[in-house]
Amino acid sequence: MSRGVSLQQGQLLARSLKVSKSTHLVVATVAAAVAANAAAAIQLIGITGQIALLALIFVTLAAGTSAISSDIYTRSSQTLANLRSLGASSRSISSAVFFSVIGYGIAGSALGAGVGAALGIVLGGQGGAVSVMFAVVGVILASSAAAAAGVYAGGRRTWSS
Amino acid sequence: MEQLGVLSRSEASAQGRYSVELKHVSKSYGETEIYSDLHFQLLKGTFVALVGPIGSGKTTMLNMFAGLEKPTSGSILVLGQDITSMPDDALGEFRARTVGLVPQVQTLIPELTVRENVELPLHFARVDREDRQRKVDYVLEKVGIRGEAKRIVSTLSVGEKQMVSFARAMVNDPPILLLDEPTEALDPLMAEVILGLLRGDNLTLGKTIFVTTHDRRVTELARKTLRVKKKIP
Repeated sequence: MSRGVSLQQGQLLARSLKVSKSTHLVVATVAAAVAANAAAAIQLIGITGQIALLALIFVTLAAGTSAISSDIYTRSSQTLANLRSLGASSRSISSAVFFSVIGYGIAGSALGAGVGAALGIVLGGQGGAVSVMFAVVGVILASSAAAAAGVYAGGRRTWSS
Repeated sequence: MEQLGVLSRSEASAQGRYSVELKHVSKSYGETEIYSDLHFQLLKGTFVALVGPIGSGKTTMLNMFAGLEKPTSGSILVLGQDITSMPDDALGEFRARTVGLVPQVQTLIPELTVRENVELPLHFARVDREDRQRKVDYVLEKVGIRGEAKRIVSTLSVGEKQMVSFARAMVNDPPILLLDEPTEALDPLMAEVILGLLRGDNLTLGKTIFVTTHDRRVTELARKTLRVKKKIP
């Protein structure tokens, strides 16, 4: 017996729920845009501003992914009912949706954070390479955590209704 | 509707263990009462057919057994566990391991292949990859559709889809099998395959089978037949 949601299961369920390349592209581009802006701005502000910025990234991206997740569930309500009759739970479906999009979210935010870090340096951001790297990692972590929270919250809300 | 006395008291107590127990179950949709104070048990390994007019609540009862619908009051125990109070996530996993459901309306995922559809319950039951492969091959062979394993479900005929649905219900070897009009949409040849399985194939041996049907050939195979007399207004 294996624990958790396997990659194969995630892909199978994502196809069942019609999680398409367009969904992947939306997640990747939004993550890239947010991360690029944040990684640049974070070099130009003090520690309080940085914390506030990471919190803002978390809240906005969580709200966005929650909406995407709800939309997937709503469009596939009949499929969800079918999967439920086979033993699917809210958690297994949310995990599948999460794993099917998280790779694109991380890739998008990594690319955006890299571009933003370079832009911040060009704009005269303070701090050395280490602090820039911390800023970039912080942005990626905040984005990924927001995506996870958003997918699960959106899924749970729609599943219950 | 009439009170459903499924098994006699002496018959039930002879084994002392049940697959499904209904304890004072009532079910209503708004003001419309479907069932009132149902109280009966199904012995493990029994084969019960439920017959009655269309719209009399047969599918509702099947769905309650599967935990897909909750009774308005009362409790339902499946293999000794109260599914009416089980949290959603636990109920999902419990259903994947214990109940095989063949619904009347096709619930296959049209975008997936036959193999992928049949494999789905095994994912939810957390069966590992090797076992999944073996179980899917076995059940597809038994219902005679192994050659169609790679076909996309949307390209199958109604009868073939019903066979896939049956294979999917059986793939995890669940102790309880719930069938909603399993032969209704089938041509005589395919219906005979299903009837053959219900007659006592290895796939169905020892299972508790609860089937709704209008097909006399199915009721003749059942150990008990229940009748729902009234149509819901």
